[in-house]
Amino acid sequence: MTETLSRPAAEGVAAALSTSTATATGVLDALAVFEQLTYTYPGAEQAALSDIDLSLARGLTLVAGDSASGKSSLLRVLNGLVPHFHGGRIRGDALVLGDSVIATPTRRLARKVGFVFQDPETGFVCSTVEKEVAFGAENLGMSDVGRRVEEALDAVGIGQLRGRRLAELSGGERQRVALASVLATEPTMLALDEPTSQLDPGGADAFLTACLSLAVRGTSLVIAEHRLERVLPLAGEIVLMRTGTIGAFGPARDVLSRLPDPPPLVALGRRLGWDPLPLTIEAARVVAPRLARSRDASSDRRAPGEPRWTITSASVGPGAEPVLEGVDIAGYEGEVVVLMGDNGSGKTSLLRAIAGLLPPAGGTVARRAGRVAYLPQDPSALLHRPTVREEVEVTLRRTGSREKAEIVLREFGLLGVAGRYPRDLSGGERQRTAIAAIVAGDPEIVLLDEPTRGMDGTARTTLVKAIQQLRARGSSVVVATHDADLAAHIGDRIIRLENGAARDLGGADAALSGASAAATQIGRLYPGGPVTVEGVLARL
Amino acid sequence: MSAWSASGLLIVILSNNPAYRVLVLLAALNFVVAYRRQRTTLRPLLLFVGVGTLISIAVSLLLSHTGAHVLLIVPAAIPVLGGPMTLESALYGVSAGLGISAGAMVVAPLSLVLEPNDLVDTLPAPLHRTGTTLAASLNLIPGISRSLTSVREAQTMRGWRPRGLRSFSQILVPVTLTALENSIQLAETMEARGYGSGPRTRMSRPRLHGVDVLTLACASIAVLAFIAGRFSGAVVDWYPYPTPTWPAVDAVMVAACLLLALPAIARRHD
Repeated sequence: MTETLSRPAAEGVAAALSTSTATATGVLDALAVFEQLTYTYPGAEQAALSDIDLSLARGLTLVAGDSASGKSSLLRVLNGLVPHFHGGRIRGDALVLGDSVIATPTRRLARKVGFVFQDPETGFVCSTVEKEVAFGAENLGMSDVGRRVEEALDAVGIGQLRGRRLAELSGGERQRVALASVLATEPTMLALDEPTSQLDPGGADAFLTACLSLAVRGTSLVIAEHRLERVLPLAGEIVLMRTGTIGAFGPARDVLSRLPDPPPLVALGRRLGWDPLPLTIEAARVVAPRLARSRDASSDRRAPGEPRWTITSASVGPGAEPVLEGVDIAGYEGEVVVLMGDNGSGKTSLLRAIAGLLPPAGGTVARRAGRVAYLPQDPSALLHRPTVREEVEVTLRRTGSREKAEIVLREFGLLGVAGRYPRDLSGGERQRTAIAAIVAGDPEIVLLDEPTRGMDGTARTTLVKAIQQLRARGSSVVVATHDADLAAHIGDRIIRLENGAARDLGGADAALSGASAAATQIGRLYPGGPVTVEGVLARL
Repeated sequence: MSAWSASGLLIVILSNNPAYRVLVLLAALNFVVAYRRQRTTLRPLLLFVGVGTLISIAVSLLLSHTGAHVLLIVPAAIPVLGGPMTLESALYGVSAGLGISAGAMVVAPLSLVLEPNDLVDTLPAPLHRTGTTLAASLNLIPGISRSLTSVREAQTMRGWRPRGLRSFSQILVPVTLTALENSIQLAETMEARGYGSGPRTRMSRPRLHGVDVLTLACASIAVLAFIAGRFSGAVVDWYPYPTPTWPAVDAVMVAACLLLALPAIARRHD
């Protein structure tokens, strides 16, 4: 099993998939048919899904759309979690593989429909890989569970993890265990709710490779995703959700031009009027224009200000054995440093060391006096007030700041939800609330751990602007992320953590270009050139 | 293994003789070291045992003022604590502390060696669903612990400082809400994976190996011998009052305690 999905390999599989999809679509019944389905969660005033009329074909279907647009609700209809688990009001019906979701309980639909959730960790029932994979098949009273487990582990390429404890696995491995767990029941269809959102590029590629091999063998997949670049080349159809309704639906190529947050390659194609829009780097190379020579980028870089934090010869890690050793880096006022690296490479540990929450095992960490703002990976760790506004006010009050809560809320696009309970918001809105709550009151150092988790394109744009404002105000910002596009838009310096060391890769253009796994789509299209759509347009 | 733990615990409860308790403690330590999972640290357990014993001695010294050999006199003006601190009360604290330590050590294999699902597999079919729910709930505990750390850190960075009991609501509220959300997510996952859909099958039924039979036999013989000893008067309790003496022991009871160490020795030779 290769750990990374090579582009030509992916396209080969995609071609095979599209052939099998076309054949299957013509011969077999639809996978799922929604008939005027309207659904409202308990206590909600607005419907999460409104008058959905949809017929999904077999193959690989991508469900796209902004935060809170109804992607997850649509997926949960497919296995009956909506309405059977969540309750609420439902009108109309959906037939999934011939069964009415209203008349068929989830536990019966589970024989046909497997579901992979966004965060595998909170869904694990057992503590070892083999037991976890067996759990679903055992529940459904299936025979020959041992064989099913073996085959499921092999199908996703994790046979070697059979006897391991789940707590010892990386994020990517856990997500593949979650996939194997549903495969052991041999479902006809898999619904996947943002399955790669918490994975590093290597883990995401390995996971999608496993999904693709299933699709080629006849399992239909319905995947909801925010970050589309990996999945888009493989999708047969796209459902575009827009505030609980179907914004667009059809073959992937037909819907591409209407995506609100397209992958950079498609965004570039749209700006330059390419037709057809490219889905792969290879397709884009055929039509991509030559760029003018760039000016010496080093002249654009401002001289660094005073150091706000300095790490000297430090060993850092959460346990007895450090993950990182010999770390020598510093962050300056008015600078954004981006930490990149695989799951488990030490990004969070390094952030916690800078924050003073994790003492280094060796060496020193020095900070200039001033407030440090820290966003943990799980934004829920911060949220405890009844409204979004109060979350911001608490920080302003505690830090003695005279800044107005309104200004912070506006900056993060939260004025419209200022009176709402933060935990009732969508994932992206929760994340923005948490960030607004920590950066209120002009901190000297801002540390953000995976800030774009669950964010849609609009929220990411808001975040990018907010980070640029923090930089302009002189804060030293450090962001740990897998999101190469975010890094390309905000990073003054990219630091890659791998093999126990921290390597300063320089500016975003140098670090996120070429064949590196962390490169952006634009960086791969123009090796050695710009790494963002804006960068390309500036050089035409 | 559950039988072994139950047997050891019963022996600790049946007699307060520190000699037997020391033997059970050592046998259990040997058992845990031999059977523990790879990369499992014993530090928290040893810390608990050490701190438990010290607290027991301190409580006994400070609160029990009986005994002939006075070590120190706390002024009588101090309520509850005032009075003589005696050698007898310290020794009684040692005996009680050994009881706590041995008890903790004999049940430790249930968490350091067994997985919750191993226990579920041994349950009869009618209890399987309940056992699975309990095992799944136990899996949430490490998450709650991580959440507590994460919330405390996040709130501290926002300027929170512990000021009275009420201030802790700002830690406990998000931890509780996160735990509830995680529980709902777990329930949703279990529902999606067919939990409760009908009779369950099992991947494999637990099979007894030679060393398992030996463990069961040793545990049974040890506890039966101890119960018989208790009723026949062979098990003698020990009290340091009115004058401290060496604890009296019976050879058969000592052998019964040592039997608990045999499975770990056999496993090492296996």
